[in-house]
Amino acid sequence: MPVQPLLLLSHALFSLGVYGILTRRNAVGLLLAVELILNAAALNFVLFGRVFAHVQAQAFALFIIALAACEAVVGLAIILALSRHAKTVLADQADLLRG
Amino acid sequence: MTHPAGLASTALVAPQLLLIPGLPLAAFTILIFAGRRLGRMSAWVAVAALAGAAGVSWGLSPTIWAGQQLAFSWPWLTAIDPRWALGFAVDGLSWVMLAVVTSIGTLIATYSIGYMRADPRFSRFFAYLSLFCASMLTLVLADNFVLLYAGWELVGLCSYLLISFWFEKPSAAEAGRKAFITTRIGDTGLLLAILLLSLVPGGLQFSRLSGLHHILPGADRTLISLLIFLGAAGKSAQVPLHVWLPDAMEGPAPVSALIHAATMVAAGIYLVARTLPLFTPQSLHVVLTVGLLTHLLAGTIALTQTDVKRVLAYSTISQLGLMTSALGLGSLRGASALAMFHLVTHACFKALLFLAAGSVIHATHEQDLSRLGGLRRAMPWTAALFLLASLAMSGVFPLSGFWSKDAILLEAWHVHEALFWLLLGGAAITAAYIFRLYLRCFEGPAAAHDASHAHESPFIMVAPMAVLGVAAAVIGWLAGSPGTHHPLLHVLGVTERHEGLDIPVLVLSTLAACSGIGLAWVAGFHRRNVLPAPLRPLGHRLYALAANKYYVDEFYARWIVQPFLAAAERLAVFDQRVIDATVDGVGRLGTTIGELKERFDRLVVDRLVNAAAETARGLGMFLRRLQTGIVHQYLLVVVVAVVVLSLALRR
Repeated sequence: MPVQPLLLLSHALFSLGVYGILTRRNAVGLLLAVELILNAAALNFVLFGRVFAHVQAQAFALFIIALAACEAVVGLAIILALSRHAKTVLADQADLLRG
Repeated sequence: MTHPAGLASTALVAPQLLLIPGLPLAAFTILIFAGRRLGRMSAWVAVAALAGAAGVSWGLSPTIWAGQQLAFSWPWLTAIDPRWALGFAVDGLSWVMLAVVTSIGTLIATYSIGYMRADPRFSRFFAYLSLFCASMLTLVLADNFVLLYAGWELVGLCSYLLISFWFEKPSAAEAGRKAFITTRIGDTGLLLAILLLSLVPGGLQFSRLSGLHHILPGADRTLISLLIFLGAAGKSAQVPLHVWLPDAMEGPAPVSALIHAATMVAAGIYLVARTLPLFTPQSLHVVLTVGLLTHLLAGTIALTQTDVKRVLAYSTISQLGLMTSALGLGSLRGASALAMFHLVTHACFKALLFLAAGSVIHATHEQDLSRLGGLRRAMPWTAALFLLASLAMSGVFPLSGFWSKDAILLEAWHVHEALFWLLLGGAAITAAYIFRLYLRCFEGPAAAHDASHAHESPFIMVAPMAVLGVAAAVIGWLAGSPGTHHPLLHVLGVTERHEGLDIPVLVLSTLAACSGIGLAWVAGFHRRNVLPAPLRPLGHRLYALAANKYYVDEFYARWIVQPFLAAAERLAVFDQRVIDATVDGVGRLGTTIGELKERFDRLVVDRLVNAAAETARGLGMFLRRLQTGIVHQYLLVVVVAVVVLSLALRR
């Protein structure tokens, strides 16, 4: 079981996600980056579940997939509302919560 | 049946005693609340209540005449002492008063229906009259000092209300106040006496008074009895507290007749008669002196007054003085019975005199002697009854005044001859002033303006006067003639028989009455100066002295009222200058302190509060900069924090 390359892969996915979050201005891009991070976590669960022979880890991976789907639905709905309301999809232009 | 403490154990229990003051009290309650609606009927409510009380009182007579006593008492203030009881008791003495008050009260209330006919406060008058009778009857029925004092003060209140009944007249309001304050001086004495007696076990119960000389030393009894006598002197208008009674004539004539002639002013005599066991020889001397002084001074003043009712008022004071003298003669030979005997006869003829005078005033609206005269033709009944009462008061045989006055004269002769001659002089003065009044009112030429419209009073006024006239004529002869069986003196507890008709005394007193009447005819009616020329200046001076009522009012005004007012004024100045200034100063101090506190609040407390607020606001202004609302910055913070934490928590 090649653990190391797979760990490297998941780290790479995670780092790409974080990078995407920090750099994308488009909210849809942010959502995509979050999906990357979630999939990195799911990959880790599956990997360590195989290593330690825990079935629960695969269940968590399924949860994450479902959660990612939900998150995408809610997030896209917010973005749709935002684009209608503020005529923009750029995250840094929506600053209604500024103190 | 057990008897509460203080009642004679021989007394019969008689709950109907409650009716005697209860009926007039009920009448008062009805009239004060519903009098306006009852209108004319209200008088009959009062008359019916009084007649009922009279009926109950007279219904007691067989028991009383049989020597029995009646009592009714109820527990009172048992929390203090379970044996305490308040109650009514009737013996001969109080029965006589009951009969007088209820009978004369009924007659006078009937008379008032005519006299007060046109008064706008018609029902109010009868309400007060009923309240007076209820109070007077409570006073008479009380078997102890506490209840007596309650009645005593209530009759004073009613007297005040009725004297100033026509309070629109300033003089009437003034007279009511004067009567109230003057009698209060006496009442204070009575209250002190009651308080002193309350220190003695059983001292408040009348039935135990005669036992008190075993307990109390003589000096104490002298003090207490003199204090009681002070109360009696105030109520019965004895010198020096007599000044209120002449002014009390501002009230309606029936009030003068009932309260200020027949009943309330007699309460003092009743009180002394009731408490006579307490009086020591020393205090009886005071009583005798005051009585004689009052009898003679008031008699001489009555000779000179020109107001019909004032003459009668001074005559009342003088007759009350005679009763007081009789009381002062000493209790050995039933002097209190003699005083009460004269009280009864006096109540009859003096009430009649006042009612007749009221009838004159009613007919002519005039009470100044100099503007009256010749009324006999217009008012034959009133004139005849006035003459009858005058004869009775002068002590002409065989009318009532003769019997009671002669009994006192005879008693005085036994005590001291000088007293006899003084009282005989008083009797002559009495005859003189009352006939001066009669002659100048009813005889002679008709006065210019009143003869035309003067008329006899209506039947409802004449009828009670006629009944009183019959009583004034026969009551002495029926009730107490010496030598016959004398039921009234018997009821009053005199067991010893008098010597009978004393011929020398009879002759002398008749002579005194005749000389008084002669003097009135010559000097009072024909205005002839009978004094020999050298004595005339002295006579004029004495006349002026008496006409000015011996300057007693002026003396009081100069030495009591004015210093009092001056002191009050000075105290008012003190109030303004010192008390007010102090109060103002305290107020100003409060304002100053308040201002200082306000400044402290503004400069210190407010600033502290504001500083706290400013700090919070500044902090907030600083911290709001962190809340940019830009998601990337938040996420950066999160990432950096995670990196830092994971480095820091690394094992």
